[in-house]
Amino acid sequence: MTFSVERGHIFGFVGPNGAGKTTTIRTLMGLIRPSGGEATILGQRIPSRAARFKVGFLPESPYFYDYLTVGELLDLAGRLFGVPSDVRKKRADELISRVGLDRARTQNLKKFSKGMLQRAGLAQALMNDPELVVLDEPMSGLDPIGRKEVRDLILSLRDQGKTVFFSTHILSDVEAITDQVAIIARGQLQAHGTPAELLRRTVLGVDVTVRTAPELAPERLAELTAGATRVRQVGDELSLVLAADADVDAWLARAHAVGAKVVQVAPRHETLEELFLREVASADATRGARA
Amino acid sequence: MTGRIWAVALNTFREAARIRVLYGILVLVIGANLLALVLGEMVAGEEARVARDVGLAGISLFGSLTAIFLGVFLLYTEVQRRTIHVIVSKPIERWEFVVGKYLGMALVLTVLVALFAAAMIAMLVLQDVGVSSAVAKALVLAWLEVLTVAAIAIFFSSFSTPFMSGIFALAMWAIGRVTPDVEAASRDAAPWIRALTRVTLEIVPDLHLFAVSGRTLDGAHVSIHADMVSWGYVGVASLHGLGWIVGLLALAALLFHRRDFV
Repeated sequence: MTFSVERGHIFGFVGPNGAGKTTTIRTLMGLIRPSGGEATILGQRIPSRAARFKVGFLPESPYFYDYLTVGELLDLAGRLFGVPSDVRKKRADELISRVGLDRARTQNLKKFSKGMLQRAGLAQALMNDPELVVLDEPMSGLDPIGRKEVRDLILSLRDQGKTVFFSTHILSDVEAITDQVAIIARGQLQAHGTPAELLRRTVLGVDVTVRTAPELAPERLAELTAGATRVRQVGDELSLVLAADADVDAWLARAHAVGAKVVQVAPRHETLEELFLREVASADATRGARA
Repeated sequence: MTGRIWAVALNTFREAARIRVLYGILVLVIGANLLALVLGEMVAGEEARVARDVGLAGISLFGSLTAIFLGVFLLYTEVQRRTIHVIVSKPIERWEFVVGKYLGMALVLTVLVALFAAAMIAMLVLQDVGVSSAVAKALVLAWLEVLTVAAIAIFFSSFSTPFMSGIFALAMWAIGRVTPDVEAASRDAAPWIRALTRVTLEIVPDLHLFAVSGRTLDGAHVSIHADMVSWGYVGVASLHGLGWIVGLLALAALLFHRRDFV
């Protein structure tokens, strides 16, 4: 697989389980020796100690020395990065606050929940004020609030001019924050580019939501839903998806005629999830054909 | 470089200091010294001799066993628990990590040997026996033995499981303690056994150099109770131990450098 990450961008690295995301990241971070090929990080060919000075890394499901406090963990990370002691203390304090672990300062990591460990891992990855932050499944184990906080943290890192490379299974997170995406499946790169480049911009259908009259006759309802690809009715709210080439104006006129009020009409484009499923299915089909 | 090595060493010291087994071993050694006190009472006039022998044997035996225990577990658990992922992804060379790990262990073992020695000296003081230079030399040699054994254990741990590393390190320690006896025993054996023995003894550190009390060196009987080796001998033995430690750590670092952490 060949891809590049633009400086100052957020790069989402997605793929199904076993696709090779973590193996790729571990190779880039010097944990695994590559069997072939080459890669450069910040202009340095890996494995590069010089590059590691400028990179912060959060491993997947991070394991830390559970007898340390988060402050001691950050101190250890700072020492390994060669951060001077006065800067180390100040930066550790800032990062502990930034990841929301103020109240857990005195606790050993042994007593941390998975989400708290993830936050501690994020903090240690930032101890060297890195140019590039590599995060392997940073949202793993976090509740929705925690996920939102990590998304905000990633966005704030980009605002500071840093490059963020992260892998995840959670496609909504990728869609929400990435500038570039790479999809891998079965160890092969399936797609790489900006979401705008990758997602099909053609209209796939039209999402329509109307509020119907309470006593709408069944034959009138059948008239409205005829030709719709997906129909959902909750109380007096009717949601459906019309075909991309449907005459929306004519349908709206029919809806008005039966007393329905339009709540929403929106064109439907391909989502990252649909792209992801398409690319993974394509990889599976290619492998099946080769076999 | 030294900052990173020190960071790993300090962390290793913290980790090892939390291992409860070490405190059990400490209690055991103090118990052995107390037993020496009782045994000494039963052998009239030999109280000091028993205290010195038991104390020194305790340091050598329990210190070496602790070195093997720490050596085979501390490096292995870093890999097994994946704590190493956070460390080696930072700008630290793998050899620096191995050396830091060893120095942390050496620090723990030094504290333990110091406590063992303090227990032994306390027993001697209780019996109104002073601490002679012979005792001091024996303690330094025992400490060197423990540090060398730790390097043996960490070497095996760089490529093997704790069980296998423990077996290999124990075997090396046992053979290393009796290399002159093994050599003497093979003198009348078949040529292939002599050759095999010679090769084996070449790859095993001469740990007997550190346990000289009760042996005959250059035709003279050496004893912690009377005629102990000179400080010059201690210096040469130190260099010998240091050579083995550096060599074993270099090999461990080389093997560790080639490992993948999945």
